[in-house]
Amino acid sequence: MKADKFFAEHESFIFGTGFILLLLVLWESVPLWYTLPKGMALFFTTPSKIAVAFYELLRNGEIEKHFYVSAIAFLAGFGLSVVVGLPLGLLMGRSRTLEDLLDPYITAANATPRIVFLPLLILWFGIGIWSKILIVFAGAVFPLLINTYVGVKNVNRVLVNVVRSFGASEWQLMKIVVLPNSVPYIIAGLRLAIGRAILGVVVGEFFGSSQGLGYMIASAATNYKVDVVFVGVGIFMALSVILTLAVKQLESRLASWRPETAKTF
Amino acid sequence: MTLKTHFAEHRRFWIGLGSVVFFLCAWELILTYVFPVNPFFFTKPSLIAAAFREQVQGAKLWHDLAISSQAFIWGFSFAVIVGIPVGLVMGWRRRVEYSLDPFLTALYASPLIALAPLFIIVFGVGVLGKAALVFLLSVFPFIFNTFAGVKSTDSLLINVIRSFGGREKDLYLKVILPSTIPYIIAGARLAIGRGLVGIIVGEFYAASEGIGFAISQAGDTYRLPEMFVGIIILSLIAVVLTEIMRKLEITAAPWRASDEVR
Repeated sequence: MKADKFFAEHESFIFGTGFILLLLVLWESVPLWYTLPKGMALFFTTPSKIAVAFYELLRNGEIEKHFYVSAIAFLAGFGLSVVVGLPLGLLMGRSRTLEDLLDPYITAANATPRIVFLPLLILWFGIGIWSKILIVFAGAVFPLLINTYVGVKNVNRVLVNVVRSFGASEWQLMKIVVLPNSVPYIIAGLRLAIGRAILGVVVGEFFGSSQGLGYMIASAATNYKVDVVFVGVGIFMALSVILTLAVKQLESRLASWRPETAKTF
Repeated sequence: MTLKTHFAEHRRFWIGLGSVVFFLCAWELILTYVFPVNPFFFTKPSLIAAAFREQVQGAKLWHDLAISSQAFIWGFSFAVIVGIPVGLVMGWRRRVEYSLDPFLTALYASPLIALAPLFIIVFGVGVLGKAALVFLLSVFPFIFNTFAGVKSTDSLLINVIRSFGGREKDLYLKVILPSTIPYIIAGARLAIGRGLVGIIVGEFYAASEGIGFAISQAGDTYRLPEMFVGIIILSLIAVVLTEIMRKLEITAAPWRASDEVR
């Protein structure tokens, strides 16, 4: 009876972890029940081999070295996009002329996968850290800017008029009404921006690079070290999930009243 | 007077157009008179326009586009075929949801493009590798949007079908699928963007043809005008596809159009 109740209460957790464990066990056991043809075996690896490779790379400092490089590109690019995207989004939401002036570029740039600018950025800024920072920036700035701007646009008119009637300046209006009201949108924008920024780091380091986790993946793939590829992919997965959950936590704390929308990454 | 009202009505269009025209003129003039262009590092609109004309008349561009769209269409179609049913079942069967949700959410949140080198090496530099990449990236918006659509289905409608003795099949076909369609279209819009990323990165990484390859090759050989042509064409395709989806979305579900966060 007690077991039944426990099961019912934790059903979603049990099924969720159970499924992942099942997949891992199945994956691990593939060599036991199926002999892969020679060509395929080269590309195949198992979770245990990936774990061993992870331990090895962690011990010889390889991961630390690459992680450090990727983290700098991520933080610098992401920071830059916050510094540019937030103020510009706020201004665009408040000024119709600015909105109309910039709208064509922002619509076009937002629809285009920004990764397409990578060869141009490499050409202009070289294969060092700057082309990575800028591709991260290009990816992350638009979701932030657009969400901030939508948030400002959706501010309650009545509140704006009340504050205005009491003689608030534009600056006070921004501080008292506009900014607090756009916080949930900004956070949603941050969540999207994190995904785009990580994408930028990964792809930016694939090409013309000699350091970083993206480089580690790409060079391991060319050398058929499939387990190392999965170590890199696993690290990126873990980072994305952790960052996304952190922002979600923030979101549910600051904006619990906002209606749930479909997942968008 | 009529001119004034016309301007007031189409303010957004005219200011936008003016801004683009001004930007292009400034770019052209500054690079012609102030800083003379070093054609290896920078280019100007007139050179891009000339390259554009040349490319559109030639066969290579169209061939590249055909190759890329072939991979895109295969990958995208499989994403639709797999994603929608998985999302439907996940939304309808509680235990399937419990089992799949953590796993798929983790995959959706993570940059699966990191698998691109592996995919290209395993599946080859041809259509198959890129199509697999497009599938991998664009299947998740379909799964999760279909899932969200099923979750938001009006339970009254479900009870009506049940009361009149409808079967599981009727539930799916008459209630759940139709009320999910706006969500699926919204998912398709997201999936297009992700799928394009798959194509581009796949072709940057290793390819011998395709629009992404054309762009990266033009970059490697310092042919900037051609590179810009490729980027502009890709932007145009992305904008057109996204706008079509947005229009469809508004047609299919006018009440949802406003509360969208891009």
